[in-house]
Amino acid sequence: MAAEINYVDVNENFRRISLSGRLDILGTDSIELKFTSLSVATNRRVVVDLTAISFLASIGIRALITNAKALQQRGGKMVLFVGDNAAIAKTLETTGVDTLIPVVSDAVAADNIALA
Amino acid sequence: MSLSVVNLAAELSIRADARELRRASAWLKRTCLEHSVPLEEISRIELCLNEALANIITHNGTNALLLPISLHLDICTNQIPKAVTLIVSDSGAAFDPLAAPLKPRPKTLAEAEPGGLGLLMIQNLADNVSYQYSDGRNQLTFSVYWKEDK
Repeated sequence: MAAEINYVDVNENFRRISLSGRLDILGTDSIELKFTSLSVATNRRVVVDLTAISFLASIGIRALITNAKALQQRGGKMVLFVGDNAAIAKTLETTGVDTLIPVVSDAVAADNIALA
Repeated sequence: MSLSVVNLAAELSIRADARELRRASAWLKRTCLEHSVPLEEISRIELCLNEALANIITHNGTNALLLPISLHLDICTNQIPKAVTLIVSDSGAAFDPLAAPLKPRPKTLAEAEPGGLGLLMIQNLADNVSYQYSDGRNQLTFSVYWKEDK
């Protein structure tokens, strides 16, 4: 399954980005540039929806961290929404990403944390 | 484990190419599912396989890219704990990933640097990991164990 990326702008400074498929080397390569261009902007708040990710390798995690860090440096904030995707939540926990970027299973809470 | 009864031993040879990772993953998942390996354990060993192959393609040099990577899979379900063991073998420069120091975990996003997560994932997801260099080949072996039918 190819990786896909879509987004919805809630308002000028708040964007929801949905990733799906496999974030292995091929999948991450296919969405990385677009992911960066969609997520990194001054003061932008971003919720990244990972509920439809079927596989998250370290290269995909690196893309999440790199963009979350770049966004933070520009005064913005990224939140990862995992819903009931337990496998992805566990991968994020195993790698300690959940201590760096908020990982949230509830959609409303994800929005609230991003906007806080 | 002192004694392993192997129910299945399977082999796959792949090119050192990112596109081959998906073929290797599909083979691993299909074989494990056919032998009733729980999904959680399949997920763990699939991630380990992906990270091991990504490391070979990225870091193990020209020889690793020119010659096939060998995968040997053992599934042992007639014992407690049950086990899946995968041996990944490549012809790249000798490199013991277990001897490489793990990066200290960043405490904040500002401190985080890209890289170094693959080995961390293997060490945290596998229940046993070992490495040897033999006959000009790196051999990384990792296992996942489980006790009950899930």
